[in-house]
Amino acid sequence: MGADTITRTNRVTALAPWLLVLPATMAVFALLAVPVGSTLAESFSNPLGVFENYRRFFASDYNRMVVLRSFWIAFATTAIALAAGFFAAYLIAGSGPRTKRILILLSVFPLLTGVVVRSFGWMVILGRNGILNNALIELGLINAPLSLLFNQGAVLVGMVYLFLPLMILSLVGVLETIDQDLYSAAESLGSSPFGVFRQVTFPLALPGMVVGSILVFTGSLATFVTPRLLGGERQMTLATLLHEKAIISFDWEAANTIATIMIVLTALSLVALGMLAKRLSPKGRA
Amino acid sequence: MQQRSVNPVVAAIGWLVMAFLMAPIVIVIGAAVSDTTYLAFPPQGFSLRWFGNVLQQRSFMASFQTSMQVAISATSIALAIGLFAAYGLARFGKTIPAWFGSVFLLPLFVPEIVFGFSLLKTVIVSLELPVTTALIVGHTIICLPYMVRVISASLSSFDFSIEEAAVSLGMHPIKVFLTIVLPNIRSGVIAAVVLAFITSLNDVAVSLFLTGPGVSTLPIEVFTYVEQFFDPSVAAVSVLLMGVTIIVMALVERTLGLGKAVK
Amino acid sequence: MQSNAVSLNDIVAHYGNSQVLHGLNMSVADGELVSLLGSSGCGKTTTLRLLAGFIRPSSGSIALSGRDVTGLPPYRRGIGIVFQNYALFPHLTVAQNVGFGLKQRQVAEPERGKRVAAMLERVGLSSFADRYPSALSGGQRQRVALARALVIDPPLLMLDEPLSNLDAKLRVDMRSEIRELQRANKRTAIYVTHDQEEAFSISDRVAIMDAGRIVQLDAPETLFTRPVNAFVARFVGFENLVPMIVVERDGDRVICEAAGGVRTTLSLAATGPVGDRFVIGARPEGLAIGAPSNSTIPGTIGVRTYLGRTYQYRIDTPAGPLVANGPFSQPLQQGEAVGIGFLADQCCILPMENN
Repeated sequence: MGADTITRTNRVTALAPWLLVLPATMAVFALLAVPVGSTLAESFSNPLGVFENYRRFFASDYNRMVVLRSFWIAFATTAIALAAGFFAAYLIAGSGPRTKRILILLSVFPLLTGVVVRSFGWMVILGRNGILNNALIELGLINAPLSLLFNQGAVLVGMVYLFLPLMILSLVGVLETIDQDLYSAAESLGSSPFGVFRQVTFPLALPGMVVGSILVFTGSLATFVTPRLLGGERQMTLATLLHEKAIISFDWEAANTIATIMIVLTALSLVALGMLAKRLSPKGRA
Repeated sequence: MQQRSVNPVVAAIGWLVMAFLMAPIVIVIGAAVSDTTYLAFPPQGFSLRWFGNVLQQRSFMASFQTSMQVAISATSIALAIGLFAAYGLARFGKTIPAWFGSVFLLPLFVPEIVFGFSLLKTVIVSLELPVTTALIVGHTIICLPYMVRVISASLSSFDFSIEEAAVSLGMHPIKVFLTIVLPNIRSGVIAAVVLAFITSLNDVAVSLFLTGPGVSTLPIEVFTYVEQFFDPSVAAVSVLLMGVTIIVMALVERTLGLGKAVK
Repeated sequence: MQSNAVSLNDIVAHYGNSQVLHGLNMSVADGELVSLLGSSGCGKTTTLRLLAGFIRPSSGSIALSGRDVTGLPPYRRGIGIVFQNYALFPHLTVAQNVGFGLKQRQVAEPERGKRVAAMLERVGLSSFADRYPSALSGGQRQRVALARALVIDPPLLMLDEPLSNLDAKLRVDMRSEIRELQRANKRTAIYVTHDQEEAFSISDRVAIMDAGRIVQLDAPETLFTRPVNAFVARFVGFENLVPMIVVERDGDRVICEAAGGVRTTLSLAATGPVGDRFVIGARPEGLAIGAPSNSTIPGTIGVRTYLGRTYQYRIDTPAGPLVANGPFSQPLQQGEAVGIGFLADQCCILPMENN
C-alpha cells in the first residue's frame, strides 16, 4: 500500500466537493435546464425564420392584449400589495412580541395554503351565488346577482390576496432591522410623523420593498390557477394561454413561443428591478 | 427597550389588511360546515356531511393518495440530493465557487407552468414515463431549491471545526456527518422538508402537464372539480388541506419558529 | 415663574403596569449641565425620554424655559439629543445628517450649507462631509451625533450615555470636548450616565437616581463630601457605614457607642445631644489604624490587599467588619490587634434610617 493509497485518497478528497453537488446538479441540468433550453431553442427554429414564431404571435391583436394584460396585472398586483403590505408590516413591526407572533403566523398561513384553496375562497365570495351577491340581494341593494367573477377586478383581488403575505414578510423583515432610535432622532430634530416616514422609514425600507416587489411581480406574471379560476376565458394571461395552447389546442409551437416570452419577461423584470434597487438603494451601507 | 406606538390610523388600516388575508379562509371554513347544498356564509346550520361526502368520493381519495405518494417520494429524493449539495457548498466553499449555489435556485426563477410544459414535451414524452414517476420527477425539481436554500442557511452557522475535532478524536467521517453534523442542523432539515412537502402537496402548475388518465393529484382534482361544480364539498376538501397545513406549521413552529423558516 | 431652563414637576410615569417614576422633581438653570446618574433601571433614561416627548407622563408637568411642553410632540420641542448608539441616518451623508434638523426647520440652502459646514468645522470633521456614517470610526460618529444635535441651536441639549460605546482613552477626550462645546455656547444640558467619574467630572450638578426617584441633586463636591443618605454615601465611596448613639458630649468632643458596646471618641459638631442616633460614614482612607486605646474601636486585622502605595485591610470589629487603608511603609499582619479611629474631617454624618 503506502504511496498508492495516499494518492488515491488525495484524488478522492479533491473530487469529494464535486461528488457531493453532482447528483443535484445533474438533476437540475437534465430535468430543468435541458427541457427549458429546448423550449427556448424550438421557439426560434421555425424554417421560415428565427423570429417567425414571434412575428406570428404578435400579429394577433388578441395575443398582444394577453401580453399587455399579464404585464398590467403583475404591475397592479405589485403596487397594491406594496401599499397594503406597508400598513400591515408597520402594524406587525410595531406590535408587542405576542401580537407580532400571532400576526406573522396569520400572514404565513395563507402562504402555506394551496393556490387552489385560496382562489376558491374568492369564488365563494364573488360567485353568482356567492356571499357578496347574496348579501347585496338580502340588503335589497340589487335585484339580480351581479357578475363579479371572470373580470379583471376579480383576478386582481385574487392575485393581491395570493402575494400579499410575501410582501408583508419582506417588509416586516426590513422594518425590524431599522434602529428605533432613528425615528426618535428624526422626531427630536423636528420631523413630523409623516416626515419621519418619508425621510427615514421609506428610504431605509427600500431594499425590502424591492425584494418583495421582485417576488410579487415575477410571481404574478407566472401564476396560472388564479387567473384561470377567477378570470376564466375572458381574462387570459400568458400562463393560461400557454396552458390552453399546450393542452387544449396542442399548438406546441405557440406554447414554446409563449413560454419563451414568459421567461424573457421574468428575466427582464428581474434585471429592471435590480437596477432600480441599485439606483434607489441608500448608499454607504456596508 | 420600549415599543414605539403605531399611529392609530395606520394600525387600523393594517388590521383591515390582516382581515382581508383571513376573510376567504374563514369563509371557506364556514361554508364547509354549512348544512346546505350550496355554498353559504355565515353557515346555515352545522353539518359535517360534506366532509363525509368527500371521504366517500373515490376520485378525491385516490388523488389524495397519489398526492401523498408523490409528495413523500419527491421530498425524500430532493432531501437526499439537496442535503449532499448544501453540505458540499457549505463545507467546500473554497473549492466550489459561490455562484454555483444559485444553480439550485434556478427552479424558482423559471415560471412553473413553463417548466411543467417543457418537462412534459421532452423528458416525459420521450421516455414514456408513467404518470406517478413523471409527477415525482417534476416535484423533485420544484422541491430542490427549498432543500438547498434552507439547509445551506442552517449550515452557514455550523462550526465545521467541531467536525474536525470529532475526526481528530478518531471518528470515521461518515459517522461524523451522521452523528455530529446532522443533529446540529436538524431544525433546518426539518424546515426544508416541511416547505418542500407543502410545495409538492399544493402544486398545480407543474402537475397540470404531468397528470394523466386516471391518475391525478388532489389539487388538480379539486381544480378541475371547481371548474365544473360549485358545492360545499370543495370547501370541505379545502378545510382538510388546511388541516394538513396547520399540523405541518405547528411542527415547524415547535422546532424553530416560522419567521426563520420562511425567509 | 422662575427662569429655569428645565423644570419637571411631580412627574409620575408608567411602562405598562409598572410605575417607573414616582413623583420626580427637578429644575435645571440656564446654561447649566446636570447629569442624571444611576444604575440601569433607575429611571434616568425614562426621564430623558419624557423630556424629549417620546413618552408622556401619567401625571405632572414639564416646562422648558417657563413654557409648559407636557402635551407637545417631540418634533415641536426642539431639544437636541445625542443618542447612546448615535442613531445616525445610515442612508444620509455626514453633511446630510447634520443638516437634517435645519431642513425640518426650512432653513434654505446657502444658509443651511454654511451652518452645517461651520458646525463640522467645530467638531473637526470638515473633510468627512460627504462620507456615510458606516465609513466613520466610533469617535467620529459621536462627533457627527453631537454636531447634528447642536446645529439646530437647541434650548436644551440631552446626551444619553453618549460615551459608553467608546474606548477608555477616547472617552476622556470626548468628555472634555463635550464640556467645552457646552460651555462655549452656554448651552443648558442634561447628561445621562451610569459612570460616576464621568458625571462628576463633566457636570455642574449631579442628580443621583434610585428606583424612580432623585435621591440627591447637588454639585459634585457636595455629593462627594455630604451625601444625604446611606444610598448616596455608598455610591460615592463611603464603604464603612457604622450606626452610632451619642452617650456623652463635651463641646465638640463626643463619645459614641456602636454595636457590640464599643465606644469611640469623635470630635464632631454635627451630632445631636446625648441619646441621638446617627450613622457615621467613612471611606477606607477616612479611618486611621493605630494601637488599641479606649478612644478607638478595637479590631483584628483580616485579609490584606495591596493597592499600590497603600494596603487595604479588612478589619473585624465588634461593630462589624470595616475596610481601612494603612501606609505601605508599615504593613500589618493578619491577626494583629489594632484600634480604629475616625478622621472626622473626612467622614459624613447621616440620619438613622428605619430599615
